Amino acid sequence: MVEKRELLKVAISAAFGIAVFFFWLFGYPQALNYHEENQLFLFTCDYFVRDISVVGGLADYIAEFIVQFYYVPWVGAVMLGILYGTTQWLVWKVFYRFGGSYVLSFLPPLLLLWHMGDINAMLSLPVALTLVLALFILMRDRFLLADVVILPVVYWLVGPVVAVYALLRMIGRDWRVSIVYLTGFFACSVVAYWLLSYQYPYSMVLTGVNYYFRPLYHPCLQFVAPLSIPAISTFTHYFKAKTGWRKPLSVLQVVMVVAIGVSAWTMGYDKDMYELLMQDKLVREGKWNEIISRAEKYQVPTSFSSNCVNLALAATRQLADRMFDFYQSGEDALVAPRMRDNMSSYPTMETFWRLGMVNSSLRYASDLQESILNARKSGRLTKRIVQCQMVNGRYAIARKNIDLLRHSLFYSEWAAKAEAMLGDEAAIDNDNELGRIRQLRFRKEMVYSYDEIDKMCGLLFIDNNSNKMALDYFMGNMLLKGNIQGFMQYMSWVQQYGGYYEMPRGYQDAVNCIQQHGNAPGSRYAEYVRRMMDRKGGQE
Amino acid sequence: MRKVILYIMCVVAVSLFSCTPTVENAKKVDRQPSIYPDYLGVTVPAGIAPLNFTVVGKDVDAVDVVARGSKGGEIHVAGDYAKFDIDEWHELTEKNAGGKISVRVCVRENGEWSEYKEFPIYVSSYRLDEYGVTYRRIPPGYEVGGNIGLYQRNIHNFDETPMITETAVPGRCFNCHTPDRTNPHNFTMQVRGDGGGTLVQKDGKQTWYNTKTDSTKAAGSYAYWHPDGNYVAYATNSVHQCFFVGKHKPIEVYHLFSNIVLLDTRTHELVLDQRLMTPDWLEIFPSFSPDGKVLYYSTSRACNVPAEYQKVKCSVVSLPFNAATGTFGERADTLLNGEKDNKSYVLARPSYDGKWLMFVRCGRSNFPIAQPDADLWIMDLKSRKAKPLEAVNSRHTESYPNWNGNSHWIVFSSKRQDGMYTRLYFSCIDDKGNATKPFLLPQENPWKYYHELFDAYNVPDFTKDKVDFDVRTARDIIFSDDRQEVRIR
Repeated sequence: MVEKRELLKVAISAAFGIAVFFFWLFGYPQALNYHEENQLFLFTCDYFVRDISVVGGLADYIAEFIVQFYYVPWVGAVMLGILYGTTQWLVWKVFYRFGGSYVLSFLPPLLLLWHMGDINAMLSLPVALTLVLALFILMRDRFLLADVVILPVVYWLVGPVVAVYALLRMIGRDWRVSIVYLTGFFACSVVAYWLLSYQYPYSMVLTGVNYYFRPLYHPCLQFVAPLSIPAISTFTHYFKAKTGWRKPLSVLQVVMVVAIGVSAWTMGYDKDMYELLMQDKLVREGKWNEIISRAEKYQVPTSFSSNCVNLALAATRQLADRMFDFYQSGEDALVAPRMRDNMSSYPTMETFWRLGMVNSSLRYASDLQESILNARKSGRLTKRIVQCQMVNGRYAIARKNIDLLRHSLFYSEWAAKAEAMLGDEAAIDNDNELGRIRQLRFRKEMVYSYDEIDKMCGLLFIDNNSNKMALDYFMGNMLLKGNIQGFMQYMSWVQQYGGYYEMPRGYQDAVNCIQQHGNAPGSRYAEYVRRMMDRKGGQE
Repeated sequence: MRKVILYIMCVVAVSLFSCTPTVENAKKVDRQPSIYPDYLGVTVPAGIAPLNFTVVGKDVDAVDVVARGSKGGEIHVAGDYAKFDIDEWHELTEKNAGGKISVRVCVRENGEWSEYKEFPIYVSSYRLDEYGVTYRRIPPGYEVGGNIGLYQRNIHNFDETPMITETAVPGRCFNCHTPDRTNPHNFTMQVRGDGGGTLVQKDGKQTWYNTKTDSTKAAGSYAYWHPDGNYVAYATNSVHQCFFVGKHKPIEVYHLFSNIVLLDTRTHELVLDQRLMTPDWLEIFPSFSPDGKVLYYSTSRACNVPAEYQKVKCSVVSLPFNAATGTFGERADTLLNGEKDNKSYVLARPSYDGKWLMFVRCGRSNFPIAQPDADLWIMDLKSRKAKPLEAVNSRHTESYPNWNGNSHWIVFSSKRQDGMYTRLYFSCIDDKGNATKPFLLPQENPWKYYHELFDAYNVPDFTKDKVDFDVRTARDIIFSDDRQEVRIR
């Protein structure tokens, strides 16, 4: 009977892991993509040393090792399933020791899952928590004195989550032991800060350097999720004698766990944010039709979304027809100005690359990479930097970046191919992507001007008439800016070089709107112009 | 911590895998080896960190190197690359000061040994006894700085210590550390943006100023200490970037305005002089003569930048200064006329013995680090004759020179390796103002270090001893609004 129950628990825990696998793979694969593109795990000694030199470094290293597998989403999801399943099982083992219930052991992992809905939450925290739980199980009630060594060492290796270990060790012991543990924990944090981590604020050393992407921010769930384990353990330990409460409590526990699970899903994962992350993922994969079909159903009204959808439309040569069928954020809808974060400039970086504005794509890629707040490199961005440098013929810089990628798991094959082309002008010219971009580049040197991005697209097109995307962006930018004269003047280019059998529907609509002085009922462009004028009026 | 872990790992690795290759039947090659860094014929000071190097070549699997001093002493090393013991190297260079070290390199490629022609490393008789250099490390990107940091490096070994990095003050960006004539106790630096301020540390005491006032438009940036240690001259400006779209030039940096102000660190007063704050000219890069009686700076006509970026031509001007009264003299003197020469002269750095004026010459701009044609020049302050430091310059940017205490060594940044990442080089200047072939800041494994380093070096300067900087105190003040306000004089 006991064995059957135990087997059932194993099965339920495994099912939980599988549910987590499905949750990430089918629910939020874009989150995996986001985290993967914000790091570049390297199989080098230096990389390990760099990580381990920071408080919580071993947890960071293991977390980054796992995150690299997000490159292949199903593998990443499997690893997350295993991690969460393990965490839950370890929590159960801890609760079991203190007389807690199996049902409640799902609570901390669900809180963690809720926390991970915040895109700034790093995997280091779940990894660190799993490690300290495993340590606690391993130590049982023995070797109390060993904690004099264990506490500082583990503090350094996994970070302040070791507090969970210390709190669990305190349960059921004399109050003086508790004071020793608490003092020991804070002493570890002070020593770690004072001697080894003075290049970090103490608050980060005390709350985790890499548990959260944004330094000095500490969301409440970052503390609630791990501390719920010693809290529940303490509670159950002191009330386990009251078995008469067991039945009604069990029902309550199930209700609690279900409520937390539902809350995690509904409140933890911001719909708009994850839609934007999905667009970023699809742009990276070049799944243009999927971007368009998703936008037909729902589009987040931001320039990021406009950039993605417009790029997808241009890539499928629908921009001239359908641009104003979708939300246009304003003059930044085709090409956005650079923003100081690690996300907003991705679609414009891709747009520049495809237009042939190599230096601008390089600039956006470099700034995106430097905007990664924990100073990690990005595999995706490093790859783009290599491509740009190769197109520009700057092979020494390209090699420097290639050598970095060669130490990675998923980019090394690409890097080897790129390395084989270094310095070989003919090979680069004949390469499908690099050769094409070389053809599309500006012929003349000039200063980039965001305010004149329409003209720059026009010049790109003049330099290479086969660059239809530049023509579409040239005309589209003029429409976004309300440069009616320019748009009408260059319609002849569209007729001559656009490659359309008839005037694109979007342009017909715009011309109609212009001719009717904006009084064109049902006109998408008129609607856009009105919205922009309203916005301007509102600003004034 | 990082170093401790690295050290342990290295010891384990070395003890597990070390074995010394021996040279057998070496074939003579009638040329010098191709090595990284290029240390062939460089001049070094006695006591510098070992000039470890790698032999360039895909198939090189072992090297055997003998360094023999003209005045005695010899070191023999073998392995993947030439790695000298620090103490042995110091002994060898000290013994051969004023002489040379001949380096014989044998290389094993595809199992066969070759012996290359010896190359010399000259050991200067001029001492370089400073502890090391300070600099800022920053990814050479565009508008986002990334994880920048101010560091100091012991040039007699390989120890690098961060003074302050971005992790210590998240979200803040800081300018370079400017010491008072290599004095480690007195320096200034600036934190930009929200909660920014200008730090002046004198004898270990930090004072954080708000140097942005109604009269000065911006906080102080490019700085230079007056030799009496009471005044610091700052350029206050607005720096911007524009970007090229072609394949050759990536970036142009320009200033919308720039003035020079003087901070009296005793009274917390800003000394303003209208000649250094003209609306039609941009005054930038101040420096003082070693006797403190002259202020040097660059000045260029205000242009409609970025459109007229090619018209920015700086001249170097000197203006008398009276430290006792804190006032400037009447007559400015143009030492180098940028408009006339169709060049831009910036970053004038007088030697501390008062003999030379080092400066950077480029075709345009008041931000030379972004100009590939930027070269170092030197002027004899007696004869006012200037000449390029040909032994030092390359086809890429040379910039930010600074002198050591005895005015016989300079440190400067150069992009000569790849046109993008600035690295630090040292050169010796003799009594006639001639420079020697510069050498790259030594590293334990230079190829690995520099190839894997994605930071550029900014504004290097010598420091007599290790800088004692309390980053914890600095952080507390940066995150508070506790700033010393300045009064206008």
